[in-house]
Amino acid sequence: MGAAINNTAILRRTPFLPSVRTLTVGIAAILFVALCALPTIYMFVVSFVNANGSFSLANYRLLLTETRQRELLLTSIQLGAGTAVLATAIGVPLGMLLARADLPAKRFLRVALIVPLVLPSYMLALAWIYVGGSAGLAAQLIGRDLLSRWTYSLTGAILVLGLSLYPLSMLATEAAARRVEASLEEAALLVAGPRRTVWSITLPLIAPSIAGAALLTFVLALSEFSVPAVLRVRVFTTEVFTAFAALYDFGAATGRATPMLALALIAGVVVNLVVGDRWLTSRRSTRTGLPLPLGRWRALAIAGSAIVLAFAVVLPLVVLTLAAGRLSRITTALNASVQAITNSLLLAVIGATLILVLGLALGYGRGRARARFKELVDLGFIIVFAVPSTVVGVGLIGLWNRSGWPGQVYSSAAIIVIAYLARFVPVAALILAASVRQIPKSFEESAELSGASWLRVFFRIVLPQMKTGLAAAWVVAFIFAFGELGATVLVAPPGESTLPVRVYTLIANTRSSEVAALALMQALVILIPLALLGTFASNGGKR
Amino acid sequence: MIRGTNHLWLLTLLSLALILAACGGRQQNANVSSGAPGEVTIYVSTDRVFSEPILKAYEQKTGVKVNAVYDTEETKSTGLANRLLAEKNNAQADVFWSNEPVRTLVLKKRDVLAPYKSPAANGIPATFKDAEGYWTGFSARMRVLVYNTKLVKPEEAPQSVFDLADPKWKGQVAIADPRFGTMSFHSAALYAELGDQRADEFFRKLKANDVHVVAANSVVLDMVARGEAKIGLTDTDDVNVALEDKQPVAMIFPDRNGLGVPIMPNMVSLIAGAPHAEAAKKLIDYLLSLEVERLLAQSEAVQVPLHEGVEPPKNIPAINSFKPMTLDYGKAADRVEDVTRRLQSILGL
Repeated sequence: MGAAINNTAILRRTPFLPSVRTLTVGIAAILFVALCALPTIYMFVVSFVNANGSFSLANYRLLLTETRQRELLLTSIQLGAGTAVLATAIGVPLGMLLARADLPAKRFLRVALIVPLVLPSYMLALAWIYVGGSAGLAAQLIGRDLLSRWTYSLTGAILVLGLSLYPLSMLATEAAARRVEASLEEAALLVAGPRRTVWSITLPLIAPSIAGAALLTFVLALSEFSVPAVLRVRVFTTEVFTAFAALYDFGAATGRATPMLALALIAGVVVNLVVGDRWLTSRRSTRTGLPLPLGRWRALAIAGSAIVLAFAVVLPLVVLTLAAGRLSRITTALNASVQAITNSLLLAVIGATLILVLGLALGYGRGRARARFKELVDLGFIIVFAVPSTVVGVGLIGLWNRSGWPGQVYSSAAIIVIAYLARFVPVAALILAASVRQIPKSFEESAELSGASWLRVFFRIVLPQMKTGLAAAWVVAFIFAFGELGATVLVAPPGESTLPVRVYTLIANTRSSEVAALALMQALVILIPLALLGTFASNGGKR
Repeated sequence: MIRGTNHLWLLTLLSLALILAACGGRQQNANVSSGAPGEVTIYVSTDRVFSEPILKAYEQKTGVKVNAVYDTEETKSTGLANRLLAEKNNAQADVFWSNEPVRTLVLKKRDVLAPYKSPAANGIPATFKDAEGYWTGFSARMRVLVYNTKLVKPEEAPQSVFDLADPKWKGQVAIADPRFGTMSFHSAALYAELGDQRADEFFRKLKANDVHVVAANSVVLDMVARGEAKIGLTDTDDVNVALEDKQPVAMIFPDRNGLGVPIMPNMVSLIAGAPHAEAAKKLIDYLLSLEVERLLAQSEAVQVPLHEGVEPPKNIPAINSFKPMTLDYGKAADRVEDVTRRLQSILGL
């Protein structure tokens, strides 16, 4: 830990940032405000204006007076926290295993374990109903309905969301565990056993990444609408939703989103207080940390992974396949969706790449920012990420749908990419900030002392060391962008747009077999490139 | 490793180039098409499975390119009415085709629509047309009771929505969330017909009867078909799909002698400031034609034609064979906001 403290000291002594660096981070910050924050700011301005065009607090008064809002908020907190805990409990051990342990078929396991994240969570909830509903598979097998009380409950919603979101925690843990300074662990090994070393050196060092992922999970579960709706859990998102769908009142909807933003903010502050801003350092870019000796626990680790695989991946896929009935339904759905699939893949690749670039500049700025400033930056990212997608979508329309060049952007597919950026740049920035912090500032300083320009240092020294973080951020951004529905459906130009929009417009009131077929098709389409990428990335890592 | 970073550069440049190309491409399109009748944009909330073939047929027939935006189920996104409201100051759509009355009437109130009285609507009864021409109704669905035929005998099946409050069905009834979709129309219609006091009382009894309030009408149907509930309240098209699939369900037109059956026509409207207004009117004329009513009647949506002389769909009686709920759609739609608030507290939503 001594090295860590020294590094912080060096950082504090840096009087100012060199200009190219300031410029890069500055431009990124301006883009962030313009693309990501402005739609929300626009909506908040709208929420303070009443029908007559004058200032009003009417949209906020209800929040304080209605008791039901408090009850809903409490359920939402339980859902968010429960999901974050469950997802972390599943994701961290899996991430550690993937990073360090000697497991069979690890490459396959990594891709397979990401599957729940690419299945739309709504479909996962459906799959659970097919299993645990009062007339579900379980009830048919046992002959009696034992599960439905749990399926249609807060517990059920936490279970479904936890099983759908743990891959975030897994990816974050793996990325961080691969970058832990090996010498720290080696030093600990001199006095303690390997398990104790993992427990008291490795885990605390990667705690910021774990906490960051837990925070993202919390926010995602908090803003989830369809899973609680399907499992009949009344949560706060319904409030925002009702304001849009039943009252058509943008101001009220935005006003009602504030408690959720406040919750995200509080969660962010709590995480910051608990984990603090630890510095992780790494001197070796080639080693991937200490191998985790499993010993007699190896069987247990394999069994654990298999159980997660069975419940989170195999079961929903099998159930959905059964519900789809015939495989031909899936291929038919696939054939009819070629245009939407091409659009989605292209837009998600473009979106994820731009998200990565912007997130990288922001994450770097945040990782190297002064102490007081950085917490504010983190909280800014979290709040922007917590804004409900519909609010973002309506805000984007308000900003971009006007005559002149913004209108031309609005009526083109570029607006979909902007929607992706608006929603997911904060995620990439948070992941990449964690990644930047793992690289000692001294590397950059020594390179700069020997005369290298900042750009050269950044591309030759910083970036190469962030490879895992960059890959994780890109994959997460790609998955999120590919699955984005709430904002896309509002801004996508007329004509065939993205795959989720196609799937969700087709499943409106259609039979459950078609729904299952479309869900499987959507999962397949995103899994294939991910599997290819997974194989490619592992090969790259070995090189 | 350096190669890796070069990939990132390349990918970024490529992405930016593609975006510029996308903007540029659309721009060119827009220049060519502005003013020309070769194109029309329609926002459709009628299920895509049913509406897309009709729009494709129109494209083939006329050569006019139809750019459509379809809606999702209410519980999955906020949908097109909000998009139309948000786009009001710079309209992108020419036509709005709604699958129920409430949203259209909200849009009329918020000045999103423009009047157009289509000559194609002459054969449609006046109840289903706006006197000012802001909307025209066609092919209708009904709100119906559905029951599981394995669990409920036909002679026991309820005949009125008020039977759902009967303690004999305690815990056995499913309805969709009355804040969204066609159930919101149905609830508002009940309030408009019964008055606040009687309607409040009815919903309180439902609550006391442990009614299941589920996400959507399709879920209601699913629950009844699977026997998770014995009876539900849903739309004709949902029941028909289940009947086609040979599921153990049957439908009943509720209150066909009393209050009347709630009828929900599709509604089509011209958008104020439509970029292709002339093309829009032609498309509206087509949608109101006998041909479209026939297509929708023959489809799985089994929508009942409002023109006289078009054959009704199988499984569904003709529109003049039962008593419709005498409804002023404007009045019912005006109640939605207030009814939403009332039901939130009565049903504990």
